[in-house]
Amino acid sequence: MADIQTARIVGTPALEGTYISEMDMWPLECREFNRNYQFYDNLREGRFTTTKCQKCGHIAFPPGVICPKCWSEELEWVDLPQRATVVAVTETQAGAPLGFPLPLIIAWLNFGKDSPIKHLLGRVINCAEGELKDGDEVKFVVFDVPAHPIDVKKETKVCDRVYYAFERVK
Amino acid sequence: MTKRTNAVIVGGGVSKFGVREAHILDLFQEAAKACSDDISTLKPTDIDGLIVCSTMAGRHSSALNTAPLVAHRLGLKPTSICIRIDTLCAGSNSGIIVAKGMIESGIAEVILVTGAEKVYMPQRWETNYTQLMVNDHDWDSAMGLGVPPPFFAMIAKMHMKRYGTTKEQMAHVAVANYNYGATNPKGHFYPRTLTMDEALSARLIADPFGLFDCCPLSDGASAVIIASEQRAKGLSDRPLVYIRGTGQHATHSMSAGWPGETLAEWPHLKKAAEVAYKNAQVSAKDIDVAQVHDCFTISEIIEVEELGFCKKGEGGDYIASGAVNIDGERPINTDGGLLSHGHPFGASGARQSLELCKQLQGRATNQVKDPKIALAHNLSGTCAQHTVVIYGTEPVE
Ligand SMILES: [Zn+2]
Repeated sequence: MADIQTARIVGTPALEGTYISEMDMWPLECREFNRNYQFYDNLREGRFTTTKCQKCGHIAFPPGVICPKCWSEELEWVDLPQRATVVAVTETQAGAPLGFPLPLIIAWLNFGKDSPIKHLLGRVINCAEGELKDGDEVKFVVFDVPAHPIDVKKETKVCDRVYYAFERVK
Repeated sequence: MTKRTNAVIVGGGVSKFGVREAHILDLFQEAAKACSDDISTLKPTDIDGLIVCSTMAGRHSSALNTAPLVAHRLGLKPTSICIRIDTLCAGSNSGIIVAKGMIESGIAEVILVTGAEKVYMPQRWETNYTQLMVNDHDWDSAMGLGVPPPFFAMIAKMHMKRYGTTKEQMAHVAVANYNYGATNPKGHFYPRTLTMDEALSARLIADPFGLFDCCPLSDGASAVIIASEQRAKGLSDRPLVYIRGTGQHATHSMSAGWPGETLAEWPHLKKAAEVAYKNAQVSAKDIDVAQVHDCFTISEIIEVEELGFCKKGEGGDYIASGAVNIDGERPINTDGGLLSHGHPFGASGARQSLELCKQLQGRATNQVKDPKIALAHNLSGTCAQHTVVIYGTEPVE
């Protein structure tokens, strides 16, 4: 299990060494806090997934516990395309939110006509400034993000986390 | 419920916008003071309803249940409603929509709609960081989508590619709005003027945007009085300005739900405008003066298209032609807009609506000649929701 990193707090010593989830840039992914924890479990297996309605067939993104089309609870997990085409790119060299290394590259991605998910703003990592161009192909990639603690009765449990982004297909 | 009366915007006021050495409650008090200066007979006891509009209050000012705090500091004891509304950049125009419904149904008679934000924190990083929490946090924000310029830069790139919009046309938006704003002492960038050369040679923020293509984040507050027609007559001798119609349309939160073919098409704005035009019984050609959400220069270009002021794709030409200038066919953002007046999210809607109120009463600083119908528009978040409010010198029959 990963180590937990805590903040050195100025001004409120009582918070020194605590985890403040209100300031967390990543999702609370664990099953204790998220009924869609399966999405993150699937990420760990290299799968990009979401929920499909078994009643009306609608595939929603992001996943949920009801279908946003017909409000049915009968859902199943399905795989999404892992490759997309870059339609437009934006690169931030300064002023990105803390925690995102520079350059922060975000692209408007098109997943194609037949995909249940048409488009998405996706972060493109492992990419140098100026390298990504309109029309490039990118692929889905999973990486580790910092773990956090949760209180379970009198114990502290550590929740490992992952997230996803995209990288350029060379 | 049957409509019992017409809702009217009586007047209002704003605090100084900018990087303010003040607490959010100071800003709410400043706006209320400015409002009472504008409506000289107004007493706190006239007000039966309070709608407080703020997004950051809970986080940046540690004030989660904001409305009672504001009521206390303004000496109000509301009996019809006392709530906070959070629709980010559309906050106080959302508040005006709610106030209209409450007044027309007879539940309330005189409502103060007030918005404020304390955006700037003791350390600058926290303001950018908070913006991860105003987007779809677990999905778009975790991709790094926080501060708006990168997203709107992509919108601009697509509009340039599809419709041939140019940096010069975007600069025309900035020049028009800065020069309007140079007359407004409450504005963030007052008394700055702007030339085309300055706009086009400004430092790059996010390609294709230079400094003057982007509105600032501002601390600030606004307040307006929305009242029944009968009560409005008792509060002020000025001409009545009616809230004729409203529309608000949200289609998605996360980018995967974007409703347009590309980012350059905003069908959700078109829809919000259709609803508002229908309720107000007017069409785009009837709008004499407007306040549109110029968070970026490209936003105003796309908005004049989707609001129907010109054809789709011709927004850049429309603005460069001078149509939005004071002597043009439809002056826009006559108080400086977000670009120059500044943008304290929850305060911007009422700031816009107050300017339109003044225009329709014939007392604006940059007065348009004899306007009858006026339109305010906000987009919120990563262009996920659109809000339109239409005012007129006559009520809807
Ligand atoms: Zn369904």
